[in-house]
Amino acid sequence: MDGLIQDIKLIGEEIPWLKEIRAKGRNAFIKQGIPTPKTEAWKYTKPNRFFETPFSYTPSNLISISSNIKLPFDCYQINFTNGVFNPFTSSLPQGIEVMPIIEAIMFTPKVREKISNIAKVDENPFVALNTGYLNEGVYIHISSNVDIKKPLTIVYETLCTDRNDMYNLRNLIHVEKNSSVQIVEAFYYEGKVKSSYFMNVVNEIYLEENSHLRHYKLQDEAFKSAHIAFNAVKVEDNASYKSFCLQKGADMARNESYVELSEKGAHATVDSAYIMNGWATIDTTTNINHLKPYTTSSQLVKGVVGGQAKGVFQGKIHISPNAVKTEGYQLHKAMLLTDDAEVDVKPELEIFADDVKCSHGSACGELDKEQLFYMQSRGISEDEAKQMLIEAYLNDVIAKVDDEKIIEWIKLSLNSNKSE
Amino acid sequence: MTAPLLEIEDLYAGVDGKEIIKGFNLTINAGEIHAIMGPNGAGKSTLSNVLCGKPGYYVTSGNVRFKGRDLLKLSPEERACEGLFLSMQYPVEIPGVPITSFLKHAVNAIRSYKGEPELDTMEFIKMVKAEGKKLGLDNEMIKRAVNVGFSGGEKKRLETLQMSVLKPSLAILDEADSGLDIDALRVVAEGVNALHNENNALLVITHYQRLLNHIVPDFVHVYADGKIVKTGDKTLALELEEKGYAGFVKEK
Repeated sequence: MDGLIQDIKLIGEEIPWLKEIRAKGRNAFIKQGIPTPKTEAWKYTKPNRFFETPFSYTPSNLISISSNIKLPFDCYQINFTNGVFNPFTSSLPQGIEVMPIIEAIMFTPKVREKISNIAKVDENPFVALNTGYLNEGVYIHISSNVDIKKPLTIVYETLCTDRNDMYNLRNLIHVEKNSSVQIVEAFYYEGKVKSSYFMNVVNEIYLEENSHLRHYKLQDEAFKSAHIAFNAVKVEDNASYKSFCLQKGADMARNESYVELSEKGAHATVDSAYIMNGWATIDTTTNINHLKPYTTSSQLVKGVVGGQAKGVFQGKIHISPNAVKTEGYQLHKAMLLTDDAEVDVKPELEIFADDVKCSHGSACGELDKEQLFYMQSRGISEDEAKQMLIEAYLNDVIAKVDDEKIIEWIKLSLNSNKSE
Repeated sequence: MTAPLLEIEDLYAGVDGKEIIKGFNLTINAGEIHAIMGPNGAGKSTLSNVLCGKPGYYVTSGNVRFKGRDLLKLSPEERACEGLFLSMQYPVEIPGVPITSFLKHAVNAIRSYKGEPELDTMEFIKMVKAEGKKLGLDNEMIKRAVNVGFSGGEKKRLETLQMSVLKPSLAILDEADSGLDIDALRVVAEGVNALHNENNALLVITHYQRLLNHIVPDFVHVYADGKIVKTGDKTLALELEEKGYAGFVKEK
């Protein structure tokens, strides 16, 4: 834990309640510590090996900001460069508001109340650490009764430095009733990878009655980095949260989705894909909580693992005693490309109600040699044929994304091989 | 006189530790149609798999030259790029890979091997649709994934479509008639015949003579116990149909 907790002056340090939120986070982190292989929730991913390198919080005045990443689809774009929010340039339509998180919580008590409400500091050490450094990130607010057509994109770009930097980003997304919006997150790096960095992101998402959020994410971090993301989502009456995350970068990564279907008719789709090589460990963890009747959830997770890499899927569906007439589905499938590739899977169903429909499944396979030969026998090279078969394998989960342009971007990202 | 398209000399080969081809000789020149007929288990499919370089099949001795090059040193995709094509007995299904995209990758791989520019996508799709129509594969089928949900007959039509798009110098048809009814057989045969000219050749592997009524061979070889035991013209096929293989198999 050396260096992770530093005595650094953050904005609003003189405000007692803000100081207290951070202190609670830091204390909860110190109490829990970095997970070890004995920590049940992290036993496959073993993040401790990564923290043998000391990381430190880097004050933003050390960071030179310059970003020119432009995504290949029409969107409203927000940029973070090395964990620092870039002043917003493009204009936003009516009904959508974006501001630095620290401003939002300092000046709006209603926002303040929502911090650490669903992303609890005593249940996850990295959420605790993130809260301890609560400073950077954005507050996104969507007013009621609006339908935002163009996606809002958050690009997190890391320009590689020779320091071992740690970035703690905290976003709060609040969609008021009867509104819908698409939010895309893209994690990229630039430059030669000289050192390691640690990206620690927490999203707290509140979806009011009959609101709809589609949340798409690409994790393409540098191969020496660690990426840990915690997405905590509360879904109210007839609201829906539909997400897809493609993870392909980082040395050690976890994308965790914690969802509370807290009122009748709430729905969550939590889909993912991962594709990896080398020695990486990529973890997809879900925890879907059906708290009320007539709530539904569905998860499809597909992975392709090569080299000596390790894929991890931990998927939990919890159904509370009164949550009758609920439906929860989960399916994980992985393709292993080499003998040394590994997948660890832990599906869990906790059902405390009768009259529910639930299922989970997991399957593991390898590239079909007959298909490979068939393609080669038509002139297609072995590498190209493999790439086509991998894309075909992941096709069904990617095709569940609602937007054609975003699907195209994800497929393109699948084949870009900067992180080799 | 140009060099033969394919020359197989005293080939010994097998699969799974079992020698199946034992002293096989065959020479095919451009413009010719050869038929290989033989009983079940004679090793006909082993021969086509060895020629196309399927992993798991090995050669213990002998030479195979294709357009003067040592075929056995080439990868399966290089063999295809050189102009060898196998219409498979049991084409595999490839879910998630659309036929058009599959064919486009194949054509462009072959073009790039020859140093030719890639094809224009729109023109290409138009051409595939037109060729498909001739073989009774409508636009809806062309949009589907490779062989997925295709009947046995439809798979054979798709093999023929690939052949017409890839334009190989030597096409091996492995049991191209299995699973086909009379009408489908005629359509596939017409498709194959339309592609045949003096610059390319066909090697038709079959149990039955009926396909050879439609694709008429210049040479018929009887294949038994890993080698050719008799060679004749198209009348040999009729003789086989009448008398069966028993007489020839004993001759060894």
